[in-house]
Order: sequence, then C-alpha cells, then structure tokens
Amino acid sequence: MSAFINVVTVGLLLGGIYGLVSIGLNLIFGVIRIVNFAQGEFVMLGMYGAYLAYLLIGVDPYVSILVVVPSLFLFGVVVQRFILQPLQNEPMMQVFATFGLLLLLQNMVLAITRGMSYTVPTPLSQVHFDLGGVSLSLSRLIVLLSVCVVAIGLSWFLKHTLLGKSVRAVTQDRRSARLMGINVEWTYMLTFGTGAALAGLAGTLLAPIYTMSPQIGGNFIVAAFAVVVLGGLGSVWGAFAGGFIIGMIEAFAGYYVNPELKHVAWFLVFIIVLIVRPSGLFGVMGAEEVGLREQN
Amino acid sequence: MIKFTKRSLLLAAAGSLALAGGSAHAQDAFKVGAINPYSGAVALYGDEVTRGYELAAEKINANGGLLGKPIKIIRGNATNAQEAIASIDQLSTRDNVDVFIGTYMSAVAAAGSEAALQYDKLYWDTNALAANLTERGLPNFVRSGPSAGTFAELSAKAVVDLVANGLGKKPGDLKVWITHEDSVYGTTIGDRQAELLKEAGVKVVGKTPYSAKSIDLTDVILRMRDGAPDVWLSTGYIPDSNLLLRTAQGQNFKPPVTIFNGTADTKETLEALGPAGLEGIFVVSYPRYDISEKFGPGKDEYLAAYKAKFGGEPIAPQSLNAYVGFQVMAEAIKAAGGTKPEAVVAAAKALNKPLGSYATGFGVKFDDKMQNGLAFPTVGQWQGGKVVTVYPNEAAVPGVKPIGLSSK
Repeated sequence: MSAFINVVTVGLLLGGIYGLVSIGLNLIFGVIRIVNFAQGEFVMLGMYGAYLAYLLIGVDPYVSILVVVPSLFLFGVVVQRFILQPLQNEPMMQVFATFGLLLLLQNMVLAITRGMSYTVPTPLSQVHFDLGGVSLSLSRLIVLLSVCVVAIGLSWFLKHTLLGKSVRAVTQDRRSARLMGINVEWTYMLTFGTGAALAGLAGTLLAPIYTMSPQIGGNFIVAAFAVVVLGGLGSVWGAFAGGFIIGMIEAFAGYYVNPELKHVAWFLVFIIVLIVRPSGLFGVMGAEEVGLREQN
Repeated sequence: MIKFTKRSLLLAAAGSLALAGGSAHAQDAFKVGAINPYSGAVALYGDEVTRGYELAAEKINANGGLLGKPIKIIRGNATNAQEAIASIDQLSTRDNVDVFIGTYMSAVAAAGSEAALQYDKLYWDTNALAANLTERGLPNFVRSGPSAGTFAELSAKAVVDLVANGLGKKPGDLKVWITHEDSVYGTTIGDRQAELLKEAGVKVVGKTPYSAKSIDLTDVILRMRDGAPDVWLSTGYIPDSNLLLRTAQGQNFKPPVTIFNGTADTKETLEALGPAGLEGIFVVSYPRYDISEKFGPGKDEYLAAYKAKFGGEPIAPQSLNAYVGFQVMAEAIKAAGGTKPEAVVAAAKALNKPLGSYATGFGVKFDDKMQNGLAFPTVGQWQGGKVVTVYPNEAAVPGVKPIGLSSK
C-alpha cells in the first residue's frame, strides 16, 4: 500500500512539472495557433536565467523569478513582434520560424557555456518531508502548488479581465474581434509574452531539480506536446489535467511495468485519445474554451 | 578591367611569399589531426582530451620531435559521425596531416577511422570506449586506452574484491542492483557487469535500464529500494546520473555501496549533490591524476605541465589518458619509421611494455584486433569533496583508503 501511495505521489508531483511546462505552450497554441517548437528552449532559458541570477547577484532561484519571468515576457513580446508577426499570413513559416528559434537558442547557450552542465544551489532543494514512508521533495511540491496557482490565475484572468476577454475574443474569431476594436497584434504579443513568461517560470522552478544542459528543453517539450493534445488543444484546464494524467501514467508504468517502457505507455494513451477524441479529453467546443474553434 | 598598381603587385608578391613560407614551414612539421568535439554540448571534454595531446606533443618536441620533425597538432571539430567524416576529409586534403588521433566519442571514432582509411591514414584512438571499435578489424585503427569492457570488468572486480572484502561478506552473499541508461553505451556495460557478477556468484537482484532523457527517475529508485541491494552499480551520462543520485537522496535510498561508471566524478556532480551527498560514492573512470607516482611514473610531470600550461588542475581524467595514448602512438610511429598504417600497426603490435610503464599505470600489449590489453580504468571515491583513487590498491597514494567499508 505504501508503494502505491508513493507512486501516486510521484505521479502528482511529476504531473505538476508537465502541467507547468505545458500551460504556456497551450496558451500560445490556443490563441495564436502556432505550435511553438521553441517552448522547451524558453524553459531552458528560464533555468539558465536562474543560474545567471545566482552567479551575478547571488540570489536564490526562487527569488530570481522576479527578474527571469518579466525578462522572458519581454523576450516573448519581441519574438512575436519581430519574428512571428511579419509571417502572420504564413502559418507554416511561423512554425519553421519557431523551429529556427529553437536551434538558435540552443546553440547560443551551447556556445556560451561550452556544454558544461550547471546546477543552481538552493537550500530548499535539500528539504524533504517524510509522510508515513512517502518522501516529498519541497522543490517539487513548490512546482505542484505553482501549477495550481497558475491554472487558477490564468483561468480567472481569461474570464474576468478585459484583457482576458480580448484574448478570448481573438481566439474565437480574429476578424470579428478586430471589427469590435480589439488590437489583435497587441493581443498576440501579450499572449506570446505570457506563454514565454510561463515557460520562464517553469524553468526557474525546475532549475533546482535538474542539472541543466542546453538540450534539456527537448526533454520537456515532447511530453508537453503529448499533454496539450491529450488534455485539449488550447485549454488551460486541459493542459493542467493532461499534465497529471501523463504524470500518473508515467509513474505507474515506470514502477509497476518497466521504467524503460513508461514513455511507450503514455504515447499509447495519447494515440488512443487522438483516435477516440481528437479534440482532447477536456477540449470542449465553445466560446468559453480557449482555442478550439476554427478561424474564419 | 583590372588595374595593377605597383602597390598591389608588391602586396600580392608579399602575400605569395608569406604563403610559400607558411607551407614550407608546415611541411617541416609532423602533423597530427586531433579529431574531437570542440563545439557543442561535449566540447569541454573534447578540449580536455586535446590538452593531453598537446602536453604529450610538447614533451616529445622538447626531445627532438617525431621522425625528426616538430609535432604540430591540427584540430578537427567533430561532434557527430557526419562531422567526423568532414573533418577527416578536410584535414587530409587541405592540411595533409600525417596521422589522426581522437576522441572519447565512440560514434565519432567509428566514422572518423573509416574515413581516414579512405586516405590510407592511421587513426589512433585514445579515449573512445565502445567494444565494437576494435572488433571491426579496421587495418588503420589502434586503441591504446581502455574499452567499455574493461569498465564493466573493473566495476565487477571491485564488487567481488574491494566491496565484498570491505563489508566482510562472501561474494555470494552480496546483492547487487544494476541501473544503466538504455542506449548502446549503458546497455553494453550493464549487460557485461551482470554477466561477470553472475559468473562470480554475486546475486544480481535487479537490472533497470532507463532513458537518459527521462524527466523523472523516481520509479528506478523505488524499484531498487524494494530490492534492498548491498551495492548499486550505475552507468549513465552526467545529467541523468545527477538526477538519479538526487532522487535517491530525496527518497532516503542509500545502499551500503554505490558505484558509478564513467560519470559522477566531475565538478558538475559535486555542484548538484554537494560534498556530503557524494561522500563515499565510488566512481570507475580513466586513471586519475591523483594516482601514485610509483603506479603511474610520469604522472607528477604531467600534472605539473598541465598546471603550468592551463593554469589549474585537470577538469577530468580524460586528458591524462590522452596524454599517454599520444605517447604510445609516437613510439609506434618512431619504431615504424613512417606513418603508413600497416607499418605503424605492425610496430605497435611489436611493442611490449609491462604495467606501470606510463603515467596512467598502463603497459602496452596489443591483441590481434589492436586493443591494448594493458589499459584499464581505476576506481576513485568521493572523500571530503574530492575524488581520490582507491582501487586497485597499488594505484592509490599511500595512506589513502576507501571509506564507508568496514575492514575485516
């Protein structure tokens, strides 16, 4: 029984990581309808940002959020304005552009770090709780709490603020939104910036858990794509729930079947969901959902 | 129409002279193409390997060079098989190098040596580990350093000898759990370890392959914890090895003995785990620069030269292994009196040097497939935030003993 509870805990904590990495990706996809291949590299930049903040000003990675997240937001705005916006009418080229960005960012960090792996030290990463034989790491618990806060916050923002409503309007019908006086380009910049900032947040929160390398973003992004498709393309809560589903499948398959086959298990579920329900488990057609309706 | 002025003609003449002078100078040198990754994720250790070559070349140059010429090392960047072929092409045609030497990446060594064969040039391997490199029987390929098999053999030997003795148990009473990343690198070593341990009567209670790209490895640790092994043997890359060790720490899993192969001995792991988290962990790696001078004569000279040239201690033990490999290659070329692969291979095969002939403690005796049978890794252990060589016993500096094992 203890092993079962342990595996459920592992799945929940892992789900938190997947959810956090996926929410930004799903937001960008839902609103701008771009599959952002560089999202994993934004996470990687967040990690290196935390390391840089530690190196230059000696701050804890959790404090570096105050610098890294706004920086990634600005970076996202710049990418949207100067790379993606000029390609607005060529969606295929936008996807290629994000792929180019992936290679550019990865190789830039490679060139700067010479491939050396780094870890950001924080006293919190050494803190573990033992609850009846189940070990909980504080740094993973922080990720879990953060993804809950982000999902609730983002959902509230999209439903109850004017800016959020403009994002939803653009999502539902870009042309009508423009006719209603919404600045579509600004909305895109805000969305891409927020997506990048969320990746930055994920990066800073994950930095104390992993040894970072320039390629680490790729490890997250494959899972994140599975999460968003499984949970529901464009849905904040879909990414949230999808993260936990993938996390649970991975934890159970890894422990009870074989760690080598755990990725096979969630890809299998992913393919079955795609066949049975192509819009994802939580992707419900409707205006209150983000990014599910076809653009006219 | 092109106008020639006196000035442009003079400049052109000066340029031609400089070029001619340069090539005349280059022809006077014995050119060695050093194939390694100098860019990308693995550049750090590519540089480190070449530092070993440079130190060996300087030592040989100080004694009159090779075949009467000063050695000049020309770097060929190769982070993967395709780049290895391109670099060999370029160094063969543009620079006309005499021989090639490289690298610790097996895929690069495999492709590079085949490309070098097209130009009928020797490919001398110092640091790559994959067993199949020598099994191909390539006529221009020689490996002076240890192979993956020797890493598996030494880790198994350390379990049977060092650990069993240290814990006061019979090998048959020891329970070992093997984890390894699931590419050919980790699988080859993990499979061989299991085979050797079973032959020695040790109980291999579990063997868990995992993907090095996994975000989470708690499942691996939980499965292993259930098996309550006395010894945990692991083979992986740096990020996944660090994640495994950190997860084990988080799950309060601390078997009596932990042995990592090839990784977990660098600053990157120290940064991730801290000295306390690593204390007592064993690592199987290339002979380290802290081995005793008696075991590896010339080690102190190497260390002093490294510090003088690069301003600090070696980043990793790869450079010492490369330093020795380069020296063995130079001896074979000298004995062959030329660089034709078949002549050098024959001369290398005739070399017969006992253990303890080089700074790594290696001897030289090549088998039919041109694998040096007297090259091996050593076992180090984290003690007080540093890795110190503890096994074989004679490799350790007097006074250095393994910790965490109660002696009989």
